[in-house]
Amino acid sequence: MVTRQRVLAIVSRHWYVLLRSPQRWFDVLIWPLLDTVLFGALGVYVAEAGGAGGKGLAFLLAGILLFHVIFQANISVSVGFLEESWSRNLLNIMTTPLTELEYVLGVALFGLGKLLFGVSVVAVTALGFFSFAATDVGWGLVPIMTILLVIGWAISLFVIGLVLRYGPSADILAWGLLFLVMPLSGVFYPTEALPGVLQPVARLLPTTHLFQAARDVLDGRPLPWGEIGYGAAATVVVVAAGLAFVLHMLRVFRQRGYVTRFS
Amino acid sequence: MGDVVVANGLRKRFRNTVAVDGLDLTVAAGERVGLLGANGAGKTTTLLMLLGAVSPDEGTIEILGCRLPRGRSKAMQGVGFAAGYLPLPDRLRVHEVLTMFGNLYGVDDPKHAVAAGLERFRIAHLANVMGAELSSGQRTLVGIVRATMHRPPLLILDEPTASLDPDVAQRVRIGLRELCEEDGIAMLTTSHNMVEVERMCERVLFMKEGRIIAEGSPSEVAASYGHADLEAVFLELYGEPAPHDGTGPDGEQEAARW
Repeated sequence: MVTRQRVLAIVSRHWYVLLRSPQRWFDVLIWPLLDTVLFGALGVYVAEAGGAGGKGLAFLLAGILLFHVIFQANISVSVGFLEESWSRNLLNIMTTPLTELEYVLGVALFGLGKLLFGVSVVAVTALGFFSFAATDVGWGLVPIMTILLVIGWAISLFVIGLVLRYGPSADILAWGLLFLVMPLSGVFYPTEALPGVLQPVARLLPTTHLFQAARDVLDGRPLPWGEIGYGAAATVVVVAAGLAFVLHMLRVFRQRGYVTRFS
Repeated sequence: MGDVVVANGLRKRFRNTVAVDGLDLTVAAGERVGLLGANGAGKTTTLLMLLGAVSPDEGTIEILGCRLPRGRSKAMQGVGFAAGYLPLPDRLRVHEVLTMFGNLYGVDDPKHAVAAGLERFRIAHLANVMGAELSSGQRTLVGIVRATMHRPPLLILDEPTASLDPDVAQRVRIGLRELCEEDGIAMLTTSHNMVEVERMCERVLFMKEGRIIAEGSPSEVAASYGHADLEAVFLELYGEPAPHDGTGPDGEQEAARW
């Protein structure tokens, strides 16, 4: 049974860590800011050089805004778990009544706050520096962002599973796994721009269809429910695979006594 | 209440090493039991299995009437665990760490429980100190407060006084003993300090190669080996043979080794 008290205990623990760790603000403040400036400036340059014009800038900025939804969702849960590993707190936590579900709910809930902050940084920077108002895109972005949020959480399940299996040294995957998905998903470009051999792989990913849907909306077309429907269905598969993977790794973790690596 | 720990036929193997080999263990409500043995005897693996952090290859575990692994969460509501080697989470003050764990254990008034726990072990002055700034002894004390603040029916302790100065260790022993006697808390503890075990435990179990090789009250076990105390029993069971003067056939090699 999930108890609110235990879930909120995990939220408070991570809030204290964020509050007292200036380096942790890099993910939620500095990185979104730099990404927006980088891709915004690139969009302006391409527009001035006679490329895709204003649309190109909008595609880049909307792309980075949506990418930060997945990024923040993934990083907040993955790094939340890694925090237990870095501070060798896993055994402390595993010997309390806290369930695995409560733990994930706690870090995901805390991550929602970080996500809102990080995405707001992108939106405000895009508006202030490049006059791109995310709100002009309309409500169409809401279902797309919601599904991307779930995908970010699902990716973090794979990260947690790999850290349980390979130990704290696998922490690089918290960031690395997402950057495997990013180029294949057509965050900033249609997947037709990818090498031919990668295009079938790209089309399988839910993220590809969601970023394409966002570009359609930016182009003034109606919300492409077909793309969103595929994205949602494929996301269910990814979440189920992530859950199965992390539960299997947790079983292996307990069978092989890996907890001693973390204490 | 009957037994708070009932473990039957526990076996655990890590690759080619048998860590626990067919162990049966029960702890009655309110009983204080010492699990003893040399390094590698299987004590910590046994505790980790009882806590649900490591799954046994064979055997069954019931903690406070809850069968593991399914009933782990419910069972852990009534268990407190502390180990001398466990750190505190980074970047939290002591009272924040304890409040968090109070909430994880479902304590109704964590603030009050934290204050009472710190007071019991006379470390109230550490409440606002950051966990990372504590000495290893202070950290152990805070860990013991964490394990006891929800007044669990069962305390599981792994080397609880390993890093403590003698006076602090004594304070911990007294605090734990008082707590156990006042609340009828059962305790299962490992320790390399035989004097401590004699003072704190009503029953001891010696483990070797994953099996229990001696069991009884400290005085019974000592007497069964013809010794006055557990220290001598420990040395007999696990001690290296004393070096001779090096004059035997392999005297040179032997002397070099020592």
